[in-house]
Amino acid sequence: MTRLGAVVASLIATLAIVTLIAARSWESVPTQPLAFSHKVHAGEYAIPCLYCHVHARRSAIAGIPSVERCMGCHAIMKTDKAEVKKIREYWDRQEPIPWIRIYDQPDFVYFSHKRHVFKEIACKTCHGAVEAMDRVQKAVVLDMDRCVACHMEKKASIDCLTCHQ
Amino acid sequence: MSQRINRRNFLKILGVGGAATALVSCSAEPPETLIPYLIPPEEIIPGVATWYATVCRECPAGCGMLVRTREGRAVKVEGNPSHPVNRGRLCARGQASLQGLYNPDRIRQPLLRGDSGQFQSISWEEAERLLVERLADLRRQGKAKGIACVTPLLSGSLDHLIGTWLAALGSKRRLTYEAFAYEPLKAANRIVFGLDVIPSYDIGAAELLLSFGADFLETWISPVAYTSAFATMRAYRDGRVGTAIYVGPRLSLTAANTDQWVRIKPGTELYLVMGLIHVILKERLAPSIPQKEAKQLKALVKAYDPEAVAAVTEVPAGKVFRLARMFARARPGLAIGGGVAAASRNATATLVAINLLNYVTGNVGRTVRFGPNANLAKLATYRDMLSLVKAMDKGEVQALLLYGVNPLFTLPEAAGFRAALKKTPFVVSFAPFMDETTAEANLILPDHTPLESWGDYSPWEGVHGLMQPVMQPVFKTKAVGDLLLSVAKRVDDRMAKEFPWPTFYEYARDRWGELHRRLAPMKEFEAFWEEALRSGGIWKEARATPVRLSPEVFQMAFEPPELDGGAAEAFHLLPFPSLVHYDGRGANRPWLQELPDPVTEIVWDSWLEIHPEAAKRMGIGDGDVIAVTSPHGALELPAHLHDGLHLDTVAIPIGQGHWAYGRYAGGRGANPLVLLSPDPEEVSGGLAWSATKVSLRKTGRRHHLVTVGGSSQQFGRGIAQTISLAEMTELAKDGEGAGREAHRPKQIYPPHDHPKHRWGMSIDLNACVGCNACVAACYAENNIPVVGKERVAEGRIMSWIRITRFVEAQQPNRPDIRFLPMLCQHCDAAPCESVCPVYATIHTPEGLNAQVYNRCVGVRYCSNNCPYKVRRFNWFQYAWPEPLNWQLNPDVTVRTVGIMEKCTFCVQRIREAEDRAKDEGRVVREGEVTPACAQACPARAIVFGDLKDPRSEVSKLSRDSRRYQVLEELNTQPAVTYLKKIRQALE
Repeated sequence: MTRLGAVVASLIATLAIVTLIAARSWESVPTQPLAFSHKVHAGEYAIPCLYCHVHARRSAIAGIPSVERCMGCHAIMKTDKAEVKKIREYWDRQEPIPWIRIYDQPDFVYFSHKRHVFKEIACKTCHGAVEAMDRVQKAVVLDMDRCVACHMEKKASIDCLTCHQ
Repeated sequence: MSQRINRRNFLKILGVGGAATALVSCSAEPPETLIPYLIPPEEIIPGVATWYATVCRECPAGCGMLVRTREGRAVKVEGNPSHPVNRGRLCARGQASLQGLYNPDRIRQPLLRGDSGQFQSISWEEAERLLVERLADLRRQGKAKGIACVTPLLSGSLDHLIGTWLAALGSKRRLTYEAFAYEPLKAANRIVFGLDVIPSYDIGAAELLLSFGADFLETWISPVAYTSAFATMRAYRDGRVGTAIYVGPRLSLTAANTDQWVRIKPGTELYLVMGLIHVILKERLAPSIPQKEAKQLKALVKAYDPEAVAAVTEVPAGKVFRLARMFARARPGLAIGGGVAAASRNATATLVAINLLNYVTGNVGRTVRFGPNANLAKLATYRDMLSLVKAMDKGEVQALLLYGVNPLFTLPEAAGFRAALKKTPFVVSFAPFMDETTAEANLILPDHTPLESWGDYSPWEGVHGLMQPVMQPVFKTKAVGDLLLSVAKRVDDRMAKEFPWPTFYEYARDRWGELHRRLAPMKEFEAFWEEALRSGGIWKEARATPVRLSPEVFQMAFEPPELDGGAAEAFHLLPFPSLVHYDGRGANRPWLQELPDPVTEIVWDSWLEIHPEAAKRMGIGDGDVIAVTSPHGALELPAHLHDGLHLDTVAIPIGQGHWAYGRYAGGRGANPLVLLSPDPEEVSGGLAWSATKVSLRKTGRRHHLVTVGGSSQQFGRGIAQTISLAEMTELAKDGEGAGREAHRPKQIYPPHDHPKHRWGMSIDLNACVGCNACVAACYAENNIPVVGKERVAEGRIMSWIRITRFVEAQQPNRPDIRFLPMLCQHCDAAPCESVCPVYATIHTPEGLNAQVYNRCVGVRYCSNNCPYKVRRFNWFQYAWPEPLNWQLNPDVTVRTVGIMEKCTFCVQRIREAEDRAKDEGRVVREGEVTPACAQACPARAIVFGDLKDPRSEVSKLSRDSRRYQVLEELNTQPAVTYLKKIRQALE
């Protein structure tokens, strides 16, 4: 290999690796518009998941808490904290908080939170130990392999149309 | 120097570089955000559908609708099962009301015509100010009488508000205008029975239905209700089925569904009816009428002996005798008329005769009931519209307010509305769409569409439908009721006091307070209102009033029809309302454009129908562009040869030929109203739709009319099968399961196991009328893309269910057009499954033939191997222009380019039912799953259920004596069973 070729190749490779690392880390631990800590809420105060993600037992969609729900507590609690003040600001502006999505399934996948909550599958089975995370990141790879393995183990349906419709 | 790059090094660099480039380009997409509610609405759970009841306003029939919304957006409309008009069913036009709501060509904010003649956007504040100033000025100058308002048929709150509002301004010029206004029907009832009304027709109870040009399965009065009643009438019971005969110059969809089409010379229907009465009275087949009346009537019909009738109508005398005897024997019979087809210059006389025919055979009070009557009778006549045009022409109209009407398109061009409009100084339109008339307005204040509005609508006495907004308005539009109230407050103090309601919602509630006091005074108003909102309205039985013959009938002059046009105009023109576009209002809905016309199978176009013999005589071929000229106007249209026509008649569908009205409607075909004579029919004042003669000339140009499907022939393959009534009676004696057992040869594949359910469907061809409601419902439910005319021509239409049409060996006057809904048969031994190289199409444990989109690689072997040709390939990435994409069903994957798709039996609905059943710890109940097609079907032809449950309806039907499966001999073992159409041989 020529020296020039080697230099060009290694430069490109380095650039690619750096980009890749940046992309991966950025994808798995995104910076949310305000530093909400699951560790504090779900961990220290042991607030049940379904207290805020209210729709999980009634709908396919678990739901992200409304700003009103945040204010339900934070209108009086810890109002002096910087991050809590941010909630207040959103509320005063009557603006929803644009949370960044962590878990996303392709559009051809139909997953029902309700069915899994009914079956008492713990939230952490798919979402990891959220109660230990300050910033939530993808802890479990939710690919079809994992879905099917669990479905087979629990003797749930593995009919394609259970999840694809 | 060996600094040359050799092949080996070149490949190395290329490899590393390529991989690096791939990695770099692999950087993650921008983060997706999750936007929560600020304050969650109480009734909405994200991911769970919320339903609202309202009324369909796509035509005056006023069917009840339930609208399915998801996360605040309407995604599907269905019939409201508790509404007495449509009983849960809905036609294609009703389904497409969503594409009115989300139409990308809606007017998005108020528009004012500037000095340059172009429209410019203005604020609502300014728009209202302009309107108020103008109206207040006219009042001050004492010219309030010059304010005219034209609306479509309204009833209830908005009707009352517009009336009182206009009166408060000081004007009485208010017209309720519909293109199809049934004036002759109303006039005939006044003449014969002294009642200026449109009665109820009980088609379901009739043993013999005789229609004189009334297309009751398409557009006549209340098509969904009549299709349903027709299916009831045609159902097999105790060795007989109801008989239907259609008399008219054109074989319409309605005619194609009857046992016999009597081809008649256009405009001569009157003679045939009189001939029938003549025979009935002469042969004493009408014993129930008083002697004196019989005598008078005999004198009236004296001249119409069958020979004389035959000479005029071209219906043989023998047939006149047979028809008369058959009709008199029917217990009861029913004769109807009053559609566009029989609206010549003697339309009222024809309907008077039809009334008499019903009277002498004792049908009045049985199948023709005066009460409940149709509110259609409240419409202004076409002649009233002409008076308005005249007033406008004379400069008597200072301000014209147009709401929900498009007279520039729906009035004959020769009526002079265009010129009159130019002479009107101030034209305001409240239309949500830029239709032809609105495009000529000075000020546009766009209304909400009905799905965004409060309101009420009463199609029949006693039926009070309540409309509620099913979602927030899509654009910055304002409900016309709200606007009128707001204007009233600003015109002056007296008017402000008279209209104290802050919004139209409060106004409507107050009006319902009156209904409450009248209909349910014992209930709390709040409970009454909530109940009405939930069930879609309130219905009370209306009592029928007995009627007697009015002496006026004996003064009636029965004269031959005059036709407009001289010897040069050789052809009689028959314009007919399009099944999907109605009077033209449906033309901006892409679903409706892509639905094939059921008789001709043409999409996205309009055409001139001509009899093949006449065409041959003139050297006209299919697709030749013909110049059509009448004494009043001219147009050009491609010819379509159709042997379901009288030789001297040419027919043109009404509804296309828009020059405004958005991207989907604009520039397609021609509007036949440019050809029509503007003179009203003398007696009723209605438009004489089919009283114009035209001449034809070849232009030498050609136009490609695009049709779907391949052949109209079955080539002996028995795809759409029939059974004669005699055979049927024979089989019925043996009871259930007497039908030919399914031929089940040996399978080379192991049989499928269906542990829980095996979903199946049955389609009754005796009920199906080919109306396309199922197809439209499927488009709405399953996110099926509209591909446009050019792609349809390439065979790339995407519909998952289609109505295949077969024309059997032609016998004159005996239509044997067969309609067969074809969809994925969900075969147990599916030919598509065994050829898929990637297992993208597989059999599920519930008996569905699944198409797994994310596995499909697009080789199309499956489609090649499918004998039913129901698989559709995505040749392109189809797009839904904003906001049409808001309608997409979130429960169904939007497919991408390069993959195959097809009917899923609405698996999302099966899953929803199974999910609900699981929540409640039970199995899915019979009738709990209804695919979109079965739900919509006005004829209740489609039944869906579990074939594993031997007691389910679909299981029973799969063993019915009329059962068969399409291409059964291929041993595909379909899950869809068809029931043969029952054929009656009439002489």
